[in-house]
Amino acid sequence: MSASSLKRFTTGTAFAAAGVLVAAGCGDSGSPAQSPVLDQIKLVDSTPAAAGQLDKAIWFMPKEPRSLDLDNDAANSQSDLILANVCDRLLQLQPDLTLKPGLAEKYAWKDATTLVFTIRQGVTFHDGSPMTADDVLWSLDRHRADGASESDEYVNVTGVTKTGPNEVTVKFKQSDAVFVEAIAGDAGVVLSRKGVESQGKKYGTPAGTDACTGPFQLKEWQSGKSITLTKAPNYWNKPKAAKTDEITFKWGSDDVIVNSLKTGEATGSYLENLSSATQLATGGATTVSQGPDTRVWNMMITDRGGLKDVWLRKALAMSIDRAGVAKAAFSGLGQPWKEPVGSGAWGYEKDKFKAAYDALPGLPAKPEQSDLDAAKKLVQEVGETQPLIIASDGSPVRNVIANAFVDAAQKIGLKATITQIPTAQYDPYDETIRKSVDILTDDYFVSKNDPVGFYKNGVSTSTVQWLLKDPAYDALVSKGRAALDDGERAGIAIELAKKWSEAMPWIPVVDSPSTVALSSKVTGVPASGCYRYSPWAADLGTKGA
Amino acid sequence: MVALRRLGAMVLTLVISSFVIFAGMYAAPGDPVAFLIGNPENMTPERIAAVRAEYHLDQPFLHQYWIWATDLLHGDFGSSFIYQQPVTDLLGSRLPVTLSLVAYSGVLFIVIGVLLGVVSALRKGTAIDSFITGITTFATSIPNFVVAVVLISVFAVKLRWFSVSGPGEGFFGRIHHLTLPAIALALGAIAVVSRVTRQTMVEQQSLDHVEAARSYGLQSRKTVLRHVLRNSLGPIVTMCGLILAGMLAGTVVVEGVFGLNGIGSLLVEAINTHDFPVVQAILLYMVIAYMAVTVLVDLIYPLLDARVLARSVS
Repeated sequence: MSASSLKRFTTGTAFAAAGVLVAAGCGDSGSPAQSPVLDQIKLVDSTPAAAGQLDKAIWFMPKEPRSLDLDNDAANSQSDLILANVCDRLLQLQPDLTLKPGLAEKYAWKDATTLVFTIRQGVTFHDGSPMTADDVLWSLDRHRADGASESDEYVNVTGVTKTGPNEVTVKFKQSDAVFVEAIAGDAGVVLSRKGVESQGKKYGTPAGTDACTGPFQLKEWQSGKSITLTKAPNYWNKPKAAKTDEITFKWGSDDVIVNSLKTGEATGSYLENLSSATQLATGGATTVSQGPDTRVWNMMITDRGGLKDVWLRKALAMSIDRAGVAKAAFSGLGQPWKEPVGSGAWGYEKDKFKAAYDALPGLPAKPEQSDLDAAKKLVQEVGETQPLIIASDGSPVRNVIANAFVDAAQKIGLKATITQIPTAQYDPYDETIRKSVDILTDDYFVSKNDPVGFYKNGVSTSTVQWLLKDPAYDALVSKGRAALDDGERAGIAIELAKKWSEAMPWIPVVDSPSTVALSSKVTGVPASGCYRYSPWAADLGTKGA
Repeated sequence: MVALRRLGAMVLTLVISSFVIFAGMYAAPGDPVAFLIGNPENMTPERIAAVRAEYHLDQPFLHQYWIWATDLLHGDFGSSFIYQQPVTDLLGSRLPVTLSLVAYSGVLFIVIGVLLGVVSALRKGTAIDSFITGITTFATSIPNFVVAVVLISVFAVKLRWFSVSGPGEGFFGRIHHLTLPAIALALGAIAVVSRVTRQTMVEQQSLDHVEAARSYGLQSRKTVLRHVLRNSLGPIVTMCGLILAGMLAGTVVVEGVFGLNGIGSLLVEAINTHDFPVVQAILLYMVIAYMAVTVLVDLIYPLLDARVLARSVS
């Protein structure tokens, strides 16, 4: 799986959304929450390192995972959050979003289409059996099988073979740098063949157990109640052995999470709703930290036709009050953003990407009068336009963005209205919905810390954007995937970002950093978006004296 | 004979409702495929077609219903689309939470509701009566959702007497954890039951045989228990039964606020994600539960009122 939007799975019932508002109204907020000043959000890769061992942690998440088999389509970001601690991958994503060797002690491109992994020796699965190259081979074949959720990552792979007692070789149609990044995600998890096959249909369900090598092992999944992991004995990577003996995952609505953290019933939670964070940033019982992630809220332009003229999209991009949205919908914890993917994508060549981002024109945080005048001019040039429709589902973020859009449209001489679609049906990837509106808002994140991993969605055959169809762009995506040299790939990624921004199939609005709330007694976990694939809970422990 | 006829009617009700539910889900807008594939980048036409075939979604409606119904006759409720687990497992782990919540709530609203009603009726026209009537009227008007949020912020967050969420461990843990949600669920019902109790008792008190009993000089406590309360029990039991049956289907809001993974929250999620097998199973459970409660009330009724028993025997 390379990307996804979470909202459909995280927005609960309308009650849950209303609950947040009510809870915020009569919750236990001693003092009005101090929003950090917008320009001063300091993103860190990790919270300060832990000093001591923690016996038990209770970790909250928005929803129960549907499956703990990562090759199953039912597996989602909730499954990732847990299994990041249970399953190791061939390569290991770090809190600073770079890659280091994992279960493969090294990897090398033998030639442009041959990638060789040297498998680490002395690693055991949680059942005590040793990990072999055969397990690695079987796992990769399982990930690339038709219908497996990671099979799209193997698009350029022609075969996987065991080429030595501890060596596995992957052959490609064309060289593929993005594949290496995917190997640090779910596409590179190593499973015990025996462990999975012996469980049959139970694997991945509450009746099954795990088949991995990570710092934690699955103790039990009580369906509808909780999932508990315990520290794995004899973890191969001694310095990274778990600093927490047992971690129990529970789930609940935003207000359940906030209240559990406030009362100390919960140890921590990676928050998806940033407005919850403001209540937790004050008061002393909890701390909130933010780190870079790839998630961004965008206005996705549909193929209905009201905005098929790119000048109109540009005009709107110039006049949206992003700072206002960040403040109203994200309590100042999101930031106005100019790209459809967040700074968490900059897993290499950070400075280069930052400079290119800063140089992107026509996407102000707060539009000046001059921006509005320029936008008005563009609208006048286009001439006759039809009234525009933006969809909302009544959730706070979508409502705020929809209103900001209507406000912007009116300022530059466009007619615009908001139409409500129930959350259950709010799906940008549903063609019938897209036919009825011009703009759908959604958050989007990618699983690879590489802009190419996002911008590949601009190809003509893409299922997530509906306006950019440009053979030159398609060719550039292939070239970007194939560029094994980081410097060269960064150059191509920047080129793709420019082209995307010129065509503007989505209008970026606000970057939603990864946000973690912790009980003030504990520390250590990463704050960056690496928590989906990196064993973050192993670093969780008590604070020093 | 009567029992058989009744059983036949129940089975027919189940068949019809299962068909109506299936048709309703089928007609509802939206598509389960989006949830089955999950990742929008994987939604290629080929993949969509493969998934449709796998879940029989490409079959005509009647055929889909037939597949589901024949599986059910073999005792197979099918597997959840979304959780990839047998539906019976999903329900089995969530039913105890919902049932214990409803049971707890039932005890609360029956005991407190009847008690308040009795006091109100016996002290008709006094300040206490007005006070109880006022309080219960007020209680009926607050949505249980608001009650739940207030209870949490006062008793769980501020005072820390109770836990914020979860069903609790062990018998006493469960009782402790479910106290606030049970109160939130019962509050409206307490009001209704106390009003019904008061009303029927006031009517009974003015009846001839009660007046007669009083004039013979029977103690008033005895009169109240033997005549007034006993003869009022019919309507009260019926009302309590109806409320209880309704509660089995009405826990969703309270479950959501208190982070309880019960049948209610599962149903809402299943409807939102078009998880046909789960929706079918839960709604059928609700229909069955409703029928069970009404049958129970019908069985208790003659025990309370000799006249009904005599009628049904003759």
